[in-house]
Amino acid sequence: MSGPESGTTGGDWGEGRDRRGRGGSGGAASDDAVIGPGYYGIPAIHKPHWKWLIIFYFYFGGIAGAAYAVATIADAVGASEDRRIGRIGRYLSFAALLPSPILLVLDLGRPERFFLMFRVLKLRSPMSLGTWGLTAFGGFSALSVAAQAAVDGRLGDGFVGRRAQQLPIQALGVAGTPLALFVAGYTGVLLAATAVPLWTKRALLLGPLFLASAFSSAVSAIELIVALMPSTPAATRHRLTRLGVSTLFAEAAIFIAWRNGLGPTGRPLGEGATGRVVRLGVVGGGIALPLVLQAVASVTTGGFARILSVVSSVSVLAGGLALRYVVVVAGNTSADDPRATLGMTAADGAPERLSTH
Amino acid sequence: MTLSTSDRSPLTGTTGARAGALGFLTDVSLCIGCKACEVACKQWNQLPADSGTGITGLTGFSYDNTVDLGATTWRHVAFVEQAATTVDRTWEAPGAPGSPTAWLMLSDVCKHCVHAGCLEACPTGAIVRTEFDTVVIQQDVCNGCGYCVPACPFGVPQLGDTDRKAHKCTLCYDRLVDGLEPACAKACPTESIRFGPIAELLPRALDRVEQLQERGVAGAHLYGDRAIGGTGGMEGLNALFVLTAPPEVFNLPAAPELPQRKVLPALVSTAIAAVAFILGSGAALRGRR
Repeated sequence: MSGPESGTTGGDWGEGRDRRGRGGSGGAASDDAVIGPGYYGIPAIHKPHWKWLIIFYFYFGGIAGAAYAVATIADAVGASEDRRIGRIGRYLSFAALLPSPILLVLDLGRPERFFLMFRVLKLRSPMSLGTWGLTAFGGFSALSVAAQAAVDGRLGDGFVGRRAQQLPIQALGVAGTPLALFVAGYTGVLLAATAVPLWTKRALLLGPLFLASAFSSAVSAIELIVALMPSTPAATRHRLTRLGVSTLFAEAAIFIAWRNGLGPTGRPLGEGATGRVVRLGVVGGGIALPLVLQAVASVTTGGFARILSVVSSVSVLAGGLALRYVVVVAGNTSADDPRATLGMTAADGAPERLSTH
Repeated sequence: MTLSTSDRSPLTGTTGARAGALGFLTDVSLCIGCKACEVACKQWNQLPADSGTGITGLTGFSYDNTVDLGATTWRHVAFVEQAATTVDRTWEAPGAPGSPTAWLMLSDVCKHCVHAGCLEACPTGAIVRTEFDTVVIQQDVCNGCGYCVPACPFGVPQLGDTDRKAHKCTLCYDRLVDGLEPACAKACPTESIRFGPIAELLPRALDRVEQLQERGVAGAHLYGDRAIGGTGGMEGLNALFVLTAPPEVFNLPAAPELPQRKVLPALVSTAIAAVAFILGSGAALRGRR
């Protein structure tokens, strides 16, 4: 990478730009090195300031939403002995949701002004939609967990406990699930609707990818809790594993489609420390290892199978966090790369010409 | 796609700017790199100097020491050094030994897009469109969420280091309401920066492009109409540029896109995936009741 003095050849501009990126034909511009466009390698766009607070929010928000959805589905179609899936899902959803607004407010440049988010609702701003969606979902999650706690006798039989017992758990779940799914997936849309090459290049797949990861993480968290609880029926565990494995296959398919669709824009996902986290964390730990462990566990029995299942769940949970990490970090890397930005926005739509070297 | 005037797209020279829109026309062929616009902007808007890099505060990128637009730099003069043969100056023998270095200087600024990514992204409504069709961040509303920063295809808004709120060019809103032109345009000694109604600036820009091409600057073109620069749903820019080299030379995207175009399709694809996950989960969890 170098400054424009050695690389750009504006003379091609009028006749066809396909030769740009090479040195001029002789004369003072004798530098034949193939150089990308841009201005001294300075980033053409600004990357966001988002770091760990947002990465953890993406993670916890996803688990909260997907766990709520799984709880509702388990209530609706599960066997009577599967009640505990719904119960665990509601507690898990609320627990994962609790840190979310705190993480979001702390990430603001001016946290004391967080309430200004509630001035407007803007349908074309995923962050505005997310603010309202998360708030509304928070209400459902809180009511559902209160109802569950009352059923479990944790709220006593005072005024609050009696009121909470009257809450319609299943109806709340059905009404809150669309919001739960929105919370689990909109963060991918939020990233896709930016100028950051790695996020916007395959904009249609980032929301589904985050949703898939949210499901796999939430199911694994429920599996983990179930595995640590005594006396869970084998049939319940079997059904949970079936869901977890199929979710992982879906996540793998979406991830592969997204990763391959990025082309050269996805280069930051394969390089350096981020590349290692992609290979070992997202693909290895998050998808491949759990699938292998579950396959082995399916042909073994007893305590060993349970240990494999626990390791598998922990691995998926780590992989989900790794996915949010690499998407955010690699996105920032691509925003800093003027070849990626200017290549994607080239007038002749030939990103490869500009973004490879 | 070629962008010479002989092969004009039907959108060349058009803009979706609203009637009465005010804006800039910045002409690279007239800029002498004096940075009076940068200084006038900082003075009027009380912006601090940029600290620069290293011990000297000098970047080594030609005479450019402000590097790019940011929270405290709302006009940025880019200095591009090119061999003369590469800027298509046909009055010089191409490739002649010892041919001089050509200098391109461009005063970059917020584009005040007709449809602005920053404005649409802003979740607090802090970023508004003014009565002059310009885009302004209300500092008493911004809470520093930072979403406008990656939502701008031109890399304009940025969070301030000290107050952690988003800042960018206001097109001197406070001067406009008093009938004054923006400080940068006022200070420009060569009228490389012109201020006025887009309806007047656009034909002036096209005339200038034609004039430059007649003089042999084949690469001269307008940046910021619906055909180039103000593309992909932005419907034009309220800061137009006459460029004599490809936009990328100045770190400007040739065909940027309004990021919010992706919101609805991405929400729909996510909703489809959500339905699939619901059905799949239902199938996996189904048991005898």
